[in-house]
Amino acid sequence: MPSPLENAAPDPMKVVELEAFTVPENTPRSTSRRLFATLKTWLTGKRDAQRQAIDEEKLRKLPEVRLAHLVPPVDWSPAADDLAEALDAHLARSPIVFFITPPYGGHEAVVAHWAKKHGVALAVPPTLEALLTGETRWREQFAFMGEADGPRWALPALERCLLRSTRGIHGVRAFLTDALAGKLGRGVIGCDSWSYAYLAHLVGLEGVPTLTLAALEGEALAAYFTQAGEKGARLTVYSARTGHPLVGEGPSADASQHELQILAAHCRGHLGVAWHYWRERLREPVADSERDGELWLLDALAEAELSNDTGDVATLVLHALLLHGGLDDRALGEVLPYSHHEVLNARLALTRRELVVEHGGRWQVAPLAYASVRALLVSRNYLVDPL
Amino acid sequence: MEESNRYVRLFNDIDAATVATVALILVATILLIVVSQRGLNWLANRLHGQLRFRVFALVPLTRLMILIAAIVIIVPMIIDPSLRNMVTLFGAIGLAIGFALKDYVSSLIAGVVSAVELPYRPGDWVQIEDTYGEVKHVGMRTVQIQTPDDDLVDMPHLKLWDTPVFNANDGGPSLQCVASFYLAVEVEAGWVRQALKDVALTSAYLKVDAPIVIVAEEKPWGTHYRIRAYPVDPRQQFLFVTDLTVRGKRVLGEAGVKSAVLPPDTVLDAGGEMSRPRG
Repeated sequence: MPSPLENAAPDPMKVVELEAFTVPENTPRSTSRRLFATLKTWLTGKRDAQRQAIDEEKLRKLPEVRLAHLVPPVDWSPAADDLAEALDAHLARSPIVFFITPPYGGHEAVVAHWAKKHGVALAVPPTLEALLTGETRWREQFAFMGEADGPRWALPALERCLLRSTRGIHGVRAFLTDALAGKLGRGVIGCDSWSYAYLAHLVGLEGVPTLTLAALEGEALAAYFTQAGEKGARLTVYSARTGHPLVGEGPSADASQHELQILAAHCRGHLGVAWHYWRERLREPVADSERDGELWLLDALAEAELSNDTGDVATLVLHALLLHGGLDDRALGEVLPYSHHEVLNARLALTRRELVVEHGGRWQVAPLAYASVRALLVSRNYLVDPL
Repeated sequence: MEESNRYVRLFNDIDAATVATVALILVATILLIVVSQRGLNWLANRLHGQLRFRVFALVPLTRLMILIAAIVIIVPMIIDPSLRNMVTLFGAIGLAIGFALKDYVSSLIAGVVSAVELPYRPGDWVQIEDTYGEVKHVGMRTVQIQTPDDDLVDMPHLKLWDTPVFNANDGGPSLQCVASFYLAVEVEAGWVRQALKDVALTSAYLKVDAPIVIVAEEKPWGTHYRIRAYPVDPRQQFLFVTDLTVRGKRVLGEAGVKSAVLPPDTVLDAGGEMSRPRG
């Protein structure tokens, strides 16, 4: 018998316009519980270890192989189908359409998948050398792409065409100016939401159709994680705090929504980020369990710690990494007002604190640190993404 | 005899209990002031952006409220607050102030005015006479200003009466910085304007949602260009101006732009402009 959550499984990858994006909110109960826990931690100096349904020492991390079966990498292809539908309406009134997601949000995969499925030419981003020297010949590829009617090209990751330096912005600015004027025909641009925020100031993207993935509420996350695992497996995930089942067989809708709504709100409804938290918090019993396939979800959010007095260099490194959708060490040194040596030291310190990880050959803000880094940048008035 | 009776009537009967109560109130007032000042400063230093300045603004106001409350409680315990007594008391105080403590009391009164009118708050960047720096503490008599050279200057509040106070950010996080470039007349101004704007747009310190303005002004010896832009945090102003200057010089140098050459007897019209970010 399908669970109540499966019956009404919301679409986990619904494409919406940027204006329609809303961040999930914490339930009043979870907000008050967190406030109380924070206050208690502040007063006692100890983390709250209240009312755990199971001793965390009786649980262990899952082996990578099993984890890969239970929580496989997010398949973004359903979003590409939804994107195709949304594009039909938007490409009729604008030469280009943006599809943006936050880090780990899958915009590159979605746009690439959509382009492949519809036989649209994929544009190649410039090399770092080209960005450093301000060479803009990479734009010429768009003049020879595809047919005149319908979308002619797709650029899955616009952030790869940008470097925040006087030379590194020439190409992307000229490209967007031509594209917005319709000189390059119709195209779809995938872009990191942080780069998009910066480019909106650099070029002016007001009125350009911009799509994104709708934020997932707790219920949608529960449905996604229920269905994401290996087929036919009888898996149940219990909350380590309450002992109630969260996903799988007979989840308590209230408990599930409450626990996963906290996660959804913390991740701002971004599936890519929530997926990392889910993987990181999933545990199995050390001893053999009576219940087949029993899994537990830790209560703590397992975050990399970011102190409130984080210095200017570290803050600027984190901000630069987000604005560019990740950078290698050489490029990072080019966009910051410090010597390469200072930048490397700062990046290494952040890596040691697990705030920065390597992702796709570039250094990027770690998924488990994303929420706290974003909160820090908001509190310090830095430019942040619209998602 | 009648004269001495009149003064006796000015004061209430002061017994040991009254003295103890007054002492207790004074100690409590001092404690409250110390705790509130340190607590609010501690909190504000851990905050950023607008919230930081709002909490800082509470520091002198809180102290003033505590002081007023203490005075309101203590005075009726010592003096019979009739009209005649108050006129006598204020007359005597006024005489003492007029002869001996004029400047001191003027500073105290200006301190009260500063707590209400807020011409400066902790966290503000102000210039009073020749002193420019960040307001670190607004005291009863003086305001403490930390200069970029790390000197702490105690400026009496009485300067408020007759000296203009230049407040660069006025309790907010927006502080305009100016980086100047002095170029030869023959340089193509449109290109320079765009190049300097790009320099500002690509600064890591830039407050992106604030305006960037490039000002060009013709001089007998060349053209004076200024980048006017805002850093994310007022405390980054010197780093921001340095970043704009260093990268601006590099961009202009790579393009072969010539600097203006000043005649030996010409004095820069900007006068000390580069000594501080605003210009």
